[in-house]
Amino acid sequence: MNIHLRNKLISIFVVLWLAVFYYESTCYYYLQPFFKRELPRMKFLFPPAGWIMFYDLEDNFGYTEVYGVKNGNPQLIDPHQILQTRAIGYDNINRNALVSVLSQGMSDSFCPFLKRKFPYFEKFLVTYVEYPHLTEQPMERTQTVVYTCGE
Amino acid sequence: MTKNVMKNIWNILFLEGRPSIGLSFFRIFVALTVGLHVIPSFFHLDDNYFSAALKTLNYDFFPASFINGVQKSPDGLVIFFVWAFYLTWFCFLIGLFAQISCILMTACCYYFYALNDFHIGTLSWDILLVTLFLMCVTSYHGDYFSIDALRRGDINAWRCPRPFFIQRLLQLQTASTFFFTGLYKITGTGNWITGNPVYYLMNYPVQGVTKNFLLKEWMAVHPHFCYATGLMIVATEMSMPFLLFIPKTRRAAIILGLCWHLLLVLTLDVPTIFLFLFPAQMLLFIYPQKITAWIEAKRRINAQSPRPKIIYDGECGFCRASIKRVQVMDLWGKLEYVPGPKGMSEMRLELSDGRKYGGFFAFRQLAWICPMLYPMIPVVYFPGSGILGPLVYQWVARNRYLFPVPHTCSVRSCHL
Repeated sequence: MNIHLRNKLISIFVVLWLAVFYYESTCYYYLQPFFKRELPRMKFLFPPAGWIMFYDLEDNFGYTEVYGVKNGNPQLIDPHQILQTRAIGYDNINRNALVSVLSQGMSDSFCPFLKRKFPYFEKFLVTYVEYPHLTEQPMERTQTVVYTCGE
Repeated sequence: MTKNVMKNIWNILFLEGRPSIGLSFFRIFVALTVGLHVIPSFFHLDDNYFSAALKTLNYDFFPASFINGVQKSPDGLVIFFVWAFYLTWFCFLIGLFAQISCILMTACCYYFYALNDFHIGTLSWDILLVTLFLMCVTSYHGDYFSIDALRRGDINAWRCPRPFFIQRLLQLQTASTFFFTGLYKITGTGNWITGNPVYYLMNYPVQGVTKNFLLKEWMAVHPHFCYATGLMIVATEMSMPFLLFIPKTRRAAIILGLCWHLLLVLTLDVPTIFLFLFPAQMLLFIYPQKITAWIEAKRRINAQSPRPKIIYDGECGFCRASIKRVQVMDLWGKLEYVPGPKGMSEMRLELSDGRKYGGFFAFRQLAWICPMLYPMIPVVYFPGSGILGPLVYQWVARNRYLFPVPHTCSVRSCHL
């Protein structure tokens, strides 16, 4: 390929890439509040809210506990038996992967999933455990049933 | 005048030809990261990707129509994509049709991400996808440490100059990700100034993301130390782009970046990507010219000292073509190539200390000498290979005149 044409194509690509990269990196938290409106976004490539790793951690922590119920007795199910996929080098359970089953609408897929994996139990209690004040009251722990499967 | 200066700067930043060996090395880490992140999710296809799987769908990342289309996949199509992923991933890892395999592998990654983001979808996965997109743009990452390099048979492949733009954009991506990660912590809803996130992390229960490392308990009762650590983290993240691009601080910044990710992996349950991709991204900041200068210096030293001799059938086109590939792999210039008489029963290797090896056992020794053959070491030393290897070698050697030979090597014109 002609070297001038090649350089032109590369330059166009670089300019477009940099524009999109920095636009997408700043759009959600900086550009949209600045322009006070929702701006067009590009799908398929960038995280919707920018590079927000560990950016907002509060003095609380919550996770999911799932109980299988047999003959009226609830029994805690090891989360590693629920999500059996093992990641290399880290534990997905500790990354709180299971907390997403508490989202609205997830019961529709999570309940059949639990029934298929644990046919022994008659029903399941999907609960949210929260430590509301990690540093001031580390022993304070609340637990609420978010939904029940199999009733 | 100003226009010329700007043009020069632009040229230096993006267009100037520089050796692509660093990018080729980076390809291996990208492939390993993708494999280690995605392949474990294939071990439980029924849980993760089949129709009865537990799924979360990322409508923020994909258009709804795309996700809905992918969700209609029958289980058979999922299996097809699994095998397509294995094949393209392996080709990308070994650099066979590097660009095409990168594109196809990335397409498979998108398919599985759209099918279910429960296991593979993380913020670091998005960083990996951006990296993959840039890798798909050119074939430069297949220039060396690749089967493509062997196919081309270019003995200077390791110093092949290429426009620097892909490596520069990858550098900018790395540096900017650092910067924005720091910036988000102290602006918007980030609370690293107003709160004490490191302190909270140290007080997480065992179910949390914090690993049980040595200082955790001590830090859990020292909030001021945690707050100062948090500020240092933000300051480091935000200053990394400058430290990485200023020549005087670059080396220290690379070491800092490597330690940074090691520390993250040791203290938090963060995805594999942190361990395999991000440290390799730091190495992209090493100037390619410095890498090639270092290799050239090693080659000069080796050229002046007694070298192992590799003696081959100089009249056989297949042998000459094979030796040319050894030359491509001989990055440090450690070998001396000596054409032997016609009809030699096997290739011979004479080490500088007098030890001699022939056939398969010569190849075994080569695996220690040529960096591109390092991955073959476990294979050639695998139990039983000492019996099977010579048999295979002898069969190839007996039939070597029957094998097709690259055009350039067929009539004694394959210069070594």
